[in-house]
Amino acid sequence: MRVKVAEPDALSEGGKLIVKVKEMEIGLFRVGGRYYAWRNVCPHAAAPVCLGAVRGTRLPSAVYDYQYGMDNEVLRCPWHGWEFDLKSGRHLAAGSQAKLRGFPVEADDTGVYVVVGDGS
Amino acid sequence: MRAESFIVDTDVHNAIGKLKDLLPYLPKVWHQQWLESGIGVHGQYYSPVGVLRQDAVPDGGGVPGSDPRFVLKHYMEPNGIDYAILTGGGEQGISLHADPDYANAVASAFNDWLADNWLGVSPKFKGSIQINHSDPAAAAKEIDRMGQHPAMVQVVMGSGARMPYGNRFYHPIYEAAERNGLPVAIHPGTEGKGIAGAPTPSGYPTRYMEWHNILPANFMTHINSLVCEGVFEKYPKLKLVSIEGGIAWLPHLMWRMDKNYKALRDSTPWLKRLPSEYIVDHVRVTTQPIEEPAKPEHLLQIFQMMHADKIAMFSSDYPHWDFDNPKVVLNGLPRELKRRILGLNAAELYGFPMLDEQKEAELA
Repeated sequence: MRVKVAEPDALSEGGKLIVKVKEMEIGLFRVGGRYYAWRNVCPHAAAPVCLGAVRGTRLPSAVYDYQYGMDNEVLRCPWHGWEFDLKSGRHLAAGSQAKLRGFPVEADDTGVYVVVGDGS
Repeated sequence: MRAESFIVDTDVHNAIGKLKDLLPYLPKVWHQQWLESGIGVHGQYYSPVGVLRQDAVPDGGGVPGSDPRFVLKHYMEPNGIDYAILTGGGEQGISLHADPDYANAVASAFNDWLADNWLGVSPKFKGSIQINHSDPAAAAKEIDRMGQHPAMVQVVMGSGARMPYGNRFYHPIYEAAERNGLPVAIHPGTEGKGIAGAPTPSGYPTRYMEWHNILPANFMTHINSLVCEGVFEKYPKLKLVSIEGGIAWLPHLMWRMDKNYKALRDSTPWLKRLPSEYIVDHVRVTTQPIEEPAKPEHLLQIFQMMHADKIAMFSSDYPHWDFDNPKVVLNGLPRELKRRILGLNAAELYGFPMLDEQKEAELA
């Protein structure tokens, strides 16, 4: 099922939109020219994760070495601070299997569409 | 010998009998201070039972733990102890002396005294290199000086300190230990002494029991610090032996660290695994004084939670008052777990010949 969630130019680079599809809140993000849609529920403790800040982070590094990266590609949950890769949905902590639940996004001249399963 | 009874006691205390025994190993310039003040680092807690077992006075008299032959006869032989890791005694406090030059000299003297008076008496005795952890550069030199002695199996330092042990100030110690292939052990008793901070973040407990109860808080501080500061990433072969600091708190610490890491990993971007995984791989804990819950099966559950089959090692603390008897202390544990804790984990850590032939003979 393909649901239109935004006009073609509604979201600029780095932007975020919370939309409702079939009674489900979804965060629509534009990162690196592409759209990503993640369910607005944190896999950790069910926080509205998409309300968190979009930012960069410190990349894995050597001890006492600080490397900033993933600028505007990290969603940080507003409750417990878990960081998620907006492109893959993966929780950034080593050893964690947590992942955001995502949906395919299609965009063309007529709008931005989120594809949800019929049973969703 | 049956492999089941292979026992390594990872905390046996040896002591000098008289202050003058150290003089041959101490530069003359320090003799007067040593004879008049000794270690010179004091605590203020009074134990009504003392610190030493009343029944452990050597045949010829003197301080318990001061006669290696008596330790063999009185404790190790009757209990079938295959190896004893000697951890020293009051000299661990020397790191908290205000004068680092005196402290360095005394630590070195103890190491030479140990090598001369204990390590040659029996191959069952294995030594710990005393260092002055308040002067890490000197400590590293001392580790290099003594590290290749064949019977020195680890570095030891008291757990009372001026800052948590993961701090970069201490890294030269870990670098030297790793270079020499030696674990670093920490041992309680110096909390609140000398130039160390108060024994707890809220100051001073009132009495010995209260002080003794809360020593594990300092061990949590150090282990937490070592992991968070990335010491085990920086020195991937380093092992840390947590002696006599308690064990039942470890699952809690592991879980809390893992939980916080999942939220705050960007403050320690050098961690490449969950904090608890560093603990299981790099930290070993000794059992005495073993916790004694009303339901013994609860301790078994905690052992399972903390991967005791890999990280726990038996210790008695002989000849101190809170000694754990190797003949009874692990009763009730499953046979394989008991074997691991009594000797196999320590044999792997310290590289003792846990005798494949012996194992095979046992299984045949």
